[in-house]
Amino acid sequence: VSGIDLTGYCRQGGRWGVRNHVLVLPARTASNTAVARIAAGMAGTVAVSHEWVGPADDGDTDLVLRTLAGFAANPNVAATLVVGVSDADAPLVNAIRARGGEASLVTMAAHGGTAGTVEAGRAQARALVAQAAVLEREPMPLSALTVGLECGGSDALSGITANPALGLASDSLVAEGASTVLSEIPELVGAEELLAARAISVEVADRIRSVIHGFERSVEALGVDVRGAQPTPGNIAGGLTTIEEKSLGAAKKAGSAPVSGVLEFAEPAGAPGLYIMDTPGHDIEQMVGLVAGGCQLIAFTTGRGTPTGSAIAPCLKIATNTAIYDRLEGDIDLNAGGIVDASRTLAEVGDEIRDALLAVARGRLTSSERRGHREFALRRIPRHVPPGGTSRLASLRVQEATPGRL
Amino acid sequence: MTTTAGLRGLTAYRRPNGGVGVRNHVLLLPSVMCSAHVAAEIAGDGPAIAITHQHGCLQVGDDLRHTRFDLVGTAINPNVAGVVVVSLGCETINGSDLAIKIASHGQQVELVGIQAAGGTRRAVEAGRAAARTLVETAAAGERVSVDMWDLIVGIDAPDDALSAPIIAALGRRGVQVLVAIDSPRGAEAHVALAAGGAQIIVSLPRADEAAIGFVVCPVVAVGRDTDLHRALSDDFDVIVESDEDEGEMSDRVTQRVLAHARGELTASERRAARDFVLRRLAVTM
Repeated sequence: VSGIDLTGYCRQGGRWGVRNHVLVLPARTASNTAVARIAAGMAGTVAVSHEWVGPADDGDTDLVLRTLAGFAANPNVAATLVVGVSDADAPLVNAIRARGGEASLVTMAAHGGTAGTVEAGRAQARALVAQAAVLEREPMPLSALTVGLECGGSDALSGITANPALGLASDSLVAEGASTVLSEIPELVGAEELLAARAISVEVADRIRSVIHGFERSVEALGVDVRGAQPTPGNIAGGLTTIEEKSLGAAKKAGSAPVSGVLEFAEPAGAPGLYIMDTPGHDIEQMVGLVAGGCQLIAFTTGRGTPTGSAIAPCLKIATNTAIYDRLEGDIDLNAGGIVDASRTLAEVGDEIRDALLAVARGRLTSSERRGHREFALRRIPRHVPPGGTSRLASLRVQEATPGRL
Repeated sequence: MTTTAGLRGLTAYRRPNGGVGVRNHVLLLPSVMCSAHVAAEIAGDGPAIAITHQHGCLQVGDDLRHTRFDLVGTAINPNVAGVVVVSLGCETINGSDLAIKIASHGQQVELVGIQAAGGTRRAVEAGRAAARTLVETAAAGERVSVDMWDLIVGIDAPDDALSAPIIAALGRRGVQVLVAIDSPRGAEAHVALAAGGAQIIVSLPRADEAAIGFVVCPVVAVGRDTDLHRALSDDFDVIVESDEDEGEMSDRVTQRVLAHARGELTASERRAARDFVLRRLAVTM
């Protein structure tokens, strides 16, 4: 047992949360409005919205259900109220329960539409908040903590200050028995051999190479130039020149611990250790994947400065440079910029990040929590791209049946 | 064709660039989802409306081009009197470029950047000031008499059996009808129709679908005589009876369309359903 004191909320199945939210979750876009109004002004609840309309023939259904179910089953959530259109949305509730979460369903069809659903949903949400409020923090084993490692709006200092400092914090947490998860596969292109060399087995090493090479092949198949998206215009303005340079800096968030495995998007980690999850580089999509995989906490380094947060998992933001930390007043939690002017050492900042992560896990609010940042996006894998579907204006026409002016 | 007795004309807002809007919205447009929260904070419960979307960064190729096209198209829809683009600052769909593109169509536009302003709090302050000015300008606009031909009605399911009689009835009243071809139907068609200039949308959800609104256009939701649509009747503007005569049905829908174009709120507007669904053509990088 380590000397680190951690507290959290004990959930069924031996899982532990560091927050105690009631999540109000739309099953489809059509219930976004009801969800927002159910959660409006009700302390203890959080809400997200998304753009999945839920067509029956959607090839993404499994991915969307896995993402929504994993997110709702994150142990930071005491209970989820799923707002569905009809009983056809019951599979989402079942999927949340299968992942160990608590979920109940209110449907718009049972209440005449949105207005009645808001009234019924508010009563249900209030009851769930009252149930959650009874729970108290208890001593939590560090082995139950999983921290997502993320960088967004990287600059030339990311790989020199904040990322390697976060790497030291990750190593320290993993050594004490916690888990950490590196993600953003597009930002590991060029770092695959460095990571594969740290794999705990030949199989894991092969998985690391295959998931990174698989991303490269998928971009080639699209027949597009990835520059402009990776690195982004902001990365380039921040001094990064190539995706390989960005990657070598991004990989430093994972320190030097052995890599225990490669996870699918939104897949939970197994035994404690360092993992790599297959996610896009997009800050929000990857954060949703990490949280849907069970990360209770996100450590997020930023060079350009982004205010991002998650609805249910606290996100600790670390600036790579002092200028952006000062400039984005109140949006960023820690500053790793002192490493470049030699006022602080990497080890000092690494310790500060680890200690801050543990303090946040024990209940201290992050900047993004205080400011209400709750970004949410679903990863989509479009399959039916129309050939030459560039201009949608070209595909519009004024219908022939308009005979002219009166 | 003659004008029937009792048929009232149409009133709408004339825009400086010649457009004709049936609503008078000030729009908070995030260039990237990272700034959607700030856009929503700026809007608050005030008169301006905010789009929440999940795009704008790490997109490539056609997927990037059509996303930019749809964001610009929504912002220059004639129902929009003015736009505040809310940018993060490092995103792929650069906020400044987006604002310039919107302005090039004669739309009033202001730009607020989170990184440029110095964080969330200052961006919200700057955005509220910009939105307030645009709201004041918009409030000075008044409905004036316009030609029926100035009204463009988008239909989100052109292959639906109900569409042909509705299109014909709208055409008899002299309005233009816009449909999206080779485009997804339903919510995913709304942004294409708005970007194409439709000021009002007739939506025909399938029997297993609920009604969905759209952020800058009134959506006239037409349901059918099915268990689900009956059960969701509050969210529909018209429910078509299973034995209803085609002519009666299409007249009823057309009268609703014209009433809502004149200013009566649709069910989706009353429940403040500001949906925005963008079809993605490629994975996010």
